[in-house]
Amino acid sequence: MVQISFKRFSLGLVLLSLCAFLAGCSAEASGKYWGEVDVPQDNTMRYITGSEPESLDPQFVTGQPEARILIGLFDRLVEYHPKTLEPIPSLATHWEQNEDGTVYTFYMRNTGKFSNGDPIKATDMVWSIRRALSPELASRYAFLGYDIKYGEAYNANKFFVKDKNGKFLLEKDFSSDPKKEDPIAEDKPASLQPKSLKDPVSAETRTEPDAAPEPAEVKQESEFQKFINSPTRLTVPGDEKDQEKAIKQNPKLKAAFENTELVAVTAEDIGVEAVDDYTVRFKLKQSAPYFVGLLTHQFFAALHRPSIEKFGKEWIKPENIVTSGAYRVSVWKPYDEMIIVKEPNYWDAANVKLDAVKFYPMDEQTTMMNIYKSGRIDALYNHTVPAPWNEYIRQYKNEYLLHPEMSIEYYTLSVKKPPVDNLKVRQALSLAIDRDALEKYRKTVKKLVDFTPEGIFPKYEEARKKVYSRLAKENGISEEQWSKRYFDPERARKLLTEAGYEVKENNGRFSAPSFPADDITISYNTAESNKAVAEFVQAQWRQNLGITVPLKNMEWKTYLPYRSNIEYTGAARAGWVGDYVDPFTFLSQFYTQTNDSSTGWWSAKYDRLIEEANNIADPMARFEKLAEAEFLMISDQPIIPLATSGTSWMKKPYIKGFYPNPGTMHPWKFVYIETDPAKWDENVDNIMSTSDPAVDAQVEALMRTQEQFQQSKTSANSTKNINGKTAE
Amino acid sequence: MLKFILKRLIIIIPMALLVVTLTWGLIRIAPGNFYSGEKKLPPAIEANITKKYGLDKPWYVQYGKMMWNIVQLDFGDSLKYQGQSVNEIIWRHFPYSATIGLLAYMLALLIGLSAGIIAALKQNSLFDYGSMALAMLGLSIPNFVLGPILVLVFSLWLFWVPPARWGGISSLILPVITLAAIYAAYIARLTRAGMLEVLRSDYIRTARAKGLSEKTVLLKHALRGGIIPVVSFTGPALASLLAGTVVVEKVFAIPGLGKIFIESVFNRDEPLTLGIVAFLSILIMVFNLAVDISYGFLDPRIRYE
Amino acid sequence: MADEKDIVKGTSLWKDAWQRLLKNKLAVFGLIVMVIMVIAVTIGPPILRWATGLTPYDIPADADYIKAFPPSWQHPMGTDDAGRDLLARVLQGGRISLMVGVISTFVSLIVGVSYGATAGYLGGKIDNVMMRIVDIIYAIPYILIVIVLLFVFSGENTPNWIDAISSSFGGGAGLNQIFLLFFSLGLVSWLTMARVVRGQVLSLKNQEFVLAARATGVSTFNIIFKHLVPNTLGPVIVYATLTIPSVMLTEAFLSFLGIGVQAPYASWGSLASEGIKNIALFPWQLIFPGVTMALTLFSLNFLGDGLRDALDPQTRKF
Repeated sequence: MVQISFKRFSLGLVLLSLCAFLAGCSAEASGKYWGEVDVPQDNTMRYITGSEPESLDPQFVTGQPEARILIGLFDRLVEYHPKTLEPIPSLATHWEQNEDGTVYTFYMRNTGKFSNGDPIKATDMVWSIRRALSPELASRYAFLGYDIKYGEAYNANKFFVKDKNGKFLLEKDFSSDPKKEDPIAEDKPASLQPKSLKDPVSAETRTEPDAAPEPAEVKQESEFQKFINSPTRLTVPGDEKDQEKAIKQNPKLKAAFENTELVAVTAEDIGVEAVDDYTVRFKLKQSAPYFVGLLTHQFFAALHRPSIEKFGKEWIKPENIVTSGAYRVSVWKPYDEMIIVKEPNYWDAANVKLDAVKFYPMDEQTTMMNIYKSGRIDALYNHTVPAPWNEYIRQYKNEYLLHPEMSIEYYTLSVKKPPVDNLKVRQALSLAIDRDALEKYRKTVKKLVDFTPEGIFPKYEEARKKVYSRLAKENGISEEQWSKRYFDPERARKLLTEAGYEVKENNGRFSAPSFPADDITISYNTAESNKAVAEFVQAQWRQNLGITVPLKNMEWKTYLPYRSNIEYTGAARAGWVGDYVDPFTFLSQFYTQTNDSSTGWWSAKYDRLIEEANNIADPMARFEKLAEAEFLMISDQPIIPLATSGTSWMKKPYIKGFYPNPGTMHPWKFVYIETDPAKWDENVDNIMSTSDPAVDAQVEALMRTQEQFQQSKTSANSTKNINGKTAE
Repeated sequence: MLKFILKRLIIIIPMALLVVTLTWGLIRIAPGNFYSGEKKLPPAIEANITKKYGLDKPWYVQYGKMMWNIVQLDFGDSLKYQGQSVNEIIWRHFPYSATIGLLAYMLALLIGLSAGIIAALKQNSLFDYGSMALAMLGLSIPNFVLGPILVLVFSLWLFWVPPARWGGISSLILPVITLAAIYAAYIARLTRAGMLEVLRSDYIRTARAKGLSEKTVLLKHALRGGIIPVVSFTGPALASLLAGTVVVEKVFAIPGLGKIFIESVFNRDEPLTLGIVAFLSILIMVFNLAVDISYGFLDPRIRYE
Repeated sequence: MADEKDIVKGTSLWKDAWQRLLKNKLAVFGLIVMVIMVIAVTIGPPILRWATGLTPYDIPADADYIKAFPPSWQHPMGTDDAGRDLLARVLQGGRISLMVGVISTFVSLIVGVSYGATAGYLGGKIDNVMMRIVDIIYAIPYILIVIVLLFVFSGENTPNWIDAISSSFGGGAGLNQIFLLFFSLGLVSWLTMARVVRGQVLSLKNQEFVLAARATGVSTFNIIFKHLVPNTLGPVIVYATLTIPSVMLTEAFLSFLGIGVQAPYASWGSLASEGIKNIALFPWQLIFPGVTMALTLFSLNFLGDGLRDALDPQTRKF
């Protein structure tokens, strides 16, 4: 008797909960908004930015959650455009570059202030950048400053070499090794070595002393100017072992190394200079057309020297920290909340709209969605809406933001290990994945067969299209074959058969018994979406090639060395998020032999194309060169591109000036809360093309200084009048 | 007795150091390091980092330095959370975990003990079956399932309590219930089993035969013996509850120590992991000592030499 | 002295116990459910495959079907996010979950009971040292142990016997890791068992029947394993029935953290942890694996209780 009633009881419970769930679901689908919409009354936005920030030191942190907070706390020479992320004036009102793109001069406004009221001067910028690159800080993002002349040498503890006559050895005299910073360049093809001689614009030989152009307003060349514009000095590693290695590899250096004195590269040697109180000049080691965009990064933020020197590592504590941005730290309760409030000393405080932003660290998707639905937060960060929810959530057109992102998903291939050392096998593996199906399945991504994302760099894509069709023709690839790059199972099977692994067909099922599928794996780090994609790819290969490749899931920190040291065989999941808005942020991954592509792939020709491209002043011509490089790399298939990621996050309709830009970076001073429901955002699929007069006017006003400067420059006038006085 | 307690207390220190050493060894065996990320670092930057944190020194030097600091109760700074010392992090987040853990255990004791005792006294009654079935339900549902279901019902449909985050008593209700469920179920079952055992034993029969009142028999004699299993369960349970539980802290976004601990393991944040392990191991050992001592009070048959 | 006599003629004890167990309807219910469950997960997947062609791993070739479908005649339990039949996955997941529970609990039982009983009976310094070792292992985070074990023994380093077990179940890199997981879980879950047994033995060892046994010259080994251990069976079985769900829950917890069962394999725990994320949209993804798991644990518990009542030698005094 009794147990029957229990069975009934539990059965009843199950049924009850089932009904409750179903009722809940059907009830949810109605309504204009998903969940509660309560406009905050205190002009404070509540945001989830991801996991707990590691630190508030903008030069030390590497994660996006931190970056989003630091955009508000620290000002930089240039700010992100809220929609495109392109650089717009911030501390610098305007800037210019010299002809060969190796000298950038920034003219700062004289109204910039730290949160304690101290003015932000050019010397502060110089000090900040020196600190960023200092080996003692050991910033993981130091490579962002490696374009600055001697920046890498300083960060890597290198030494100048002074010969017995007191003269410094010059790099160009020892350029038999084309990659001077790269002591491990052992197996470089001999044909490549005279490259720099053949090619007059290559990085190594370019910086002739007389060729250095002088900015118009500098009359007298300072000591520093003389030094930084002189031919690049040779630098050698400080570590004895590395030093010996470098010397051994370079016979010329070995001969010259006798009786020399080593002089450490110091912070004062790097190519950044305060020309006057409000002018900063950068000298780059080679042309870098993306350089201004790079400076939007928090790594180049203006830091307050006295407070950092006074408090040491404690300077980031809320009671000590001196910031330079539109907001200052008010409350920091780790793992609970961080509140930043409007900074009255900020030079543009009049245009800062929100009184405060509250950041809640959180990393569970379900929790975030719950708290968003309950109306306790106003917006989420990217990738927070789970892919399977897409079909349901996208009904809420006023809240759900799915736009292309400057990040890609792909599989690296271990190109030096059989069987994927065979190009045909690599191509077969790539062609056997139905990317349309992947797009349909994952829903938040767009298919991709290249290495730069689609929908982010429209100009580059235009150039790439042109170059690709030319190169395809040159390489004898038929149009039909080209059009099926996204998925071509027949050709995939043909290629695999050609590679020596015959694919047999039996009643519509394929099998390739000779392919050593058990010797390779699809490796990925633990994450719901990685697992879903890996299972999909595994199924695709099984269906289209008849091979069942085992999956291997690893915890993140175990996975990283496994992939980067190429301990894996087969395919390994990777993702790449651009640091600045330029295709080079992607293509640089395969650049130089010590690249971090985790594949083992390197091509001298690729390097040369990239270098040539970055020395071209005309943007379109440069893009075409870059596209040539991309074609070269993709044709060799060291990776299997899968998808361009999508933003996939939500915001309440009353949050305005907050855009699904390609990097999910939000300059907070453009964000505001609209209390009038009539003006709320609607159908945010079009948010990027819809104009918001308030934000647009604000952006335009900021951009005016640079536009005027460029106009006046083209009309060949002196730029002095505008210098630092146009801000207000 | 006092000597026994002192001896056990003193031995806790070398044991905690042993735990720290073993954990350190495990971290060093585990692949990966705290600074690695999606972007592989240039060798020069990696060299800067290893130099800054002294990782370029031989392992015995690193170990010796670490142990010397730990003996002085200095666990150093977290590697991930720059500028925050491990001690600071532990003391900042322990109160959150301890609050939730303590409340949950009190709730679990209240429910578990009363349900277990009544079920044992009224063996085979409807209450017995009902409470034990519920206890089994509690044991059968993982808390990462229970938590979100509670949130769905009480936060998103009924709007009674917030779905997550620390703040105010209302925000504690769901996490405490989620956490308490499984412990209440454990305790109820252990109590019932223990009580049944004792109620059938000779000394209870003797007590009854002596003509003592049923109340005295139960409260003075049976209960003392019957809850021994619960007591031995309480030590480790309370220690791990106080130190935080990952799932509840993740699901409800509570800044507790458990989540931070798991993350430190996944981040290879060695000082933080070691600090929390040391803290946790001392906590566990002290609680176990307390359990052993309480045996002596509860069960006169156990003697400490 | 009644206890002593009963244990000596062991066969009748077990026979009696079995008969008493059969009288307990709840336990019989649990036993039946468990038998059905074991049969279902053993022969279910091949039958399902033969009858409908559905496998737990195949993602549909047609992209329109790669998504979550509610229960239907074709998919009685619906599908998961990748369009795979949930019934097939629940059956396959059951194999892994039941193996986790049984193998790990078995390891913990063997190690824990003998360790705890020995420590408790010998007492003194030996007890002290043995329990301190338990304390030390207890204080080391098992997540760390699991990560290190999975890393150290993955790939080429997998011990042969794990390879052998996993290849007898079909083999492959994924299964190796799953068996490693069983092994690791067993090695971290015997500690509480040892404590419980020790506590029990401590309270028993001063009782008359032990003193009598010692006086009559029974060897220490026999006292521990023939006299003390059977008398701790009640709590041990209760605790073992608690260990099975707790090990299964631990596995689910590891799945929740992402270091559990290797995809495309699944366990009830990993299915439930995936399902809970979609609970508001696709409730069937939680309900079916969740209810199956809960039902199994229910039954195990009923069965455990029944066994306790049946095996407890003192019960017959009433």
